[in-house]
Amino acid sequence: MSQEKRIIAGVYHLSKSYGKHFALRDINLQIANGEFVFLVGRSGAGKSTLLKMIYMDDYPTEGQVVVGPFVSTRMKRNTIPHLRRRVGIIFQDFRLLENRTVFENIALAMKISGAGLGETKRQVTDILTRVGLYHKRYDYPAVLSGGEQQRVAIARAAVNQPAILLADEPTGNLDPLVTRNILNLLFKINAAGTAVLMATHDLELVRSFGQRIIYLEDGSIVKDKEMVYVGELRERISDSKVTEEAERLEGLDITGDGSAGGDVVPD
Amino acid sequence: MSLNEFRYILDESMRMLGRRKGSNAVSIIIMGLSLLILLVFVLGTLNIAAVIERTAKELRVYVYLADGTDENAVQDIQFRLLGIEGIEEVVYVPREEAMDEFRQTLGEASDLIDDLDDNPLPDAIRIKPKQRFITSGFLQRLGAVVSEWDGVEEVRYGKKWFERGEKIVNGFYMTDLGVGLIVLFSVIFVVSNTVRLTVLHRRRAIEVMKLIGATDGYIRTPFIVEGALLGAASSLFALGLLYCIFLFGKRYFSELVFLEGGAIGIFIGLCSVLGAVGSYVAVRRLLKI
Repeated sequence: MSQEKRIIAGVYHLSKSYGKHFALRDINLQIANGEFVFLVGRSGAGKSTLLKMIYMDDYPTEGQVVVGPFVSTRMKRNTIPHLRRRVGIIFQDFRLLENRTVFENIALAMKISGAGLGETKRQVTDILTRVGLYHKRYDYPAVLSGGEQQRVAIARAAVNQPAILLADEPTGNLDPLVTRNILNLLFKINAAGTAVLMATHDLELVRSFGQRIIYLEDGSIVKDKEMVYVGELRERISDSKVTEEAERLEGLDITGDGSAGGDVVPD
Repeated sequence: MSLNEFRYILDESMRMLGRRKGSNAVSIIIMGLSLLILLVFVLGTLNIAAVIERTAKELRVYVYLADGTDENAVQDIQFRLLGIEGIEEVVYVPREEAMDEFRQTLGEASDLIDDLDDNPLPDAIRIKPKQRFITSGFLQRLGAVVSEWDGVEEVRYGKKWFERGEKIVNGFYMTDLGVGLIVLFSVIFVVSNTVRLTVLHRRRAIEVMKLIGATDGYIRTPFIVEGALLGAASSLFALGLLYCIFLFGKRYFSELVFLEGGAIGIFIGLCSVLGAVGSYVAVRRLLKI
């Protein structure tokens, strides 16, 4: 299924400072429909802040954020909920409502958008089946495992069929096997047409999947590269420049040691 | 507001109230007692005003006639009086009749005046004013006007007594107002604090709701309904206690009156509104929504 490529979200010359500290500096990026993008960087690089700008939990100090028809410089307080209904968000700590069942948690997202009972039931059932938790629809979050809770959170984020799904370290609290499962679920959702922007500091994870990767360091985008699987690249491409590039990226160490930092050159 | 939304709001409010039964019960009792204080004042005022009104019904204005006023002049005066709006009845009381009435009033002590040769009492016209005209303003004006007429010596209506009665009732009304304002603020304050606890308790959930796109109103409304319900429950509690006090008092004062239906309805409504206001204030301050 080929979709016409269009930009569904973008940030333009986005800077965010808290007092004297700049969390983000002159960020420019665009996300097209159906893209899957990893946002990588160590803790404090500004990943969460960037995501917050996109779901407008806070406003830029400079620059603009555009998500669909919503523009940060023209947002009013009462328009934010409408933005949030069109954007799915998932977090490291799941953020489910403890006093509601799995079904109710997901249904709430639809109720808030004013959906009727029948439609809600249908969609929630559908998404629960897709994430594989229909049999636990009447359970409360407390009895679910971390992976299951995150799946519920993903279902809630995806039930309204948003154009983009924002994931802030969704696998931070999960073990490696569960992490893979979650990622596969996100890919599944992405394949159905929802763009995904996922922030993570797990470089290993990212490298093994290799979709579009945006590297963030100290509030600036260091690399924004479309990549196929690096392994594949090595086999297929003989062009020395590309090989060099691939090897350079492989050697890039941004998990916190700071050792290879000197090699990084902003584009 | 659609049916779904209404159902959600009611559901949420009941859910919230049900969860914090203990602290809600305490709030209702505290507010109920404050409201009870106000209600006791109001009931007291009501009954005192009723007593005064009953006595005021007996009020008569006496137009004392000058000596030597002839029949025609008297009739003139009577007709002129009847022409005044506010006067229901006029009766001529000749001095002999006045003396008889006086003797009756003295009862056993009537032999005190047996020695009197002359009847010192003047002829008079007794006026019965219409019920709703019995105010000091009207009576004063009536007295001022009529006392200027030919043949009229003096006009009397128990002015001092009357003015004192009015002062007493006004005093009560003022006190009620003062007490009412204090109670009003205390109700708003207590509801505000109670709801604040609920809001803090639900802070996380509220954050989540905002993240999934709930509007401020959507989040706020169940809290406001919760506040209104708390206010209503307190008012009912207060009314219940008041009724018990009323029944108890009626044993000693059989003419005691209770609040009428309309006033009760307004009271419950007012308390609900106060509750809603208290809730709105709390939510707004805490969540800035």
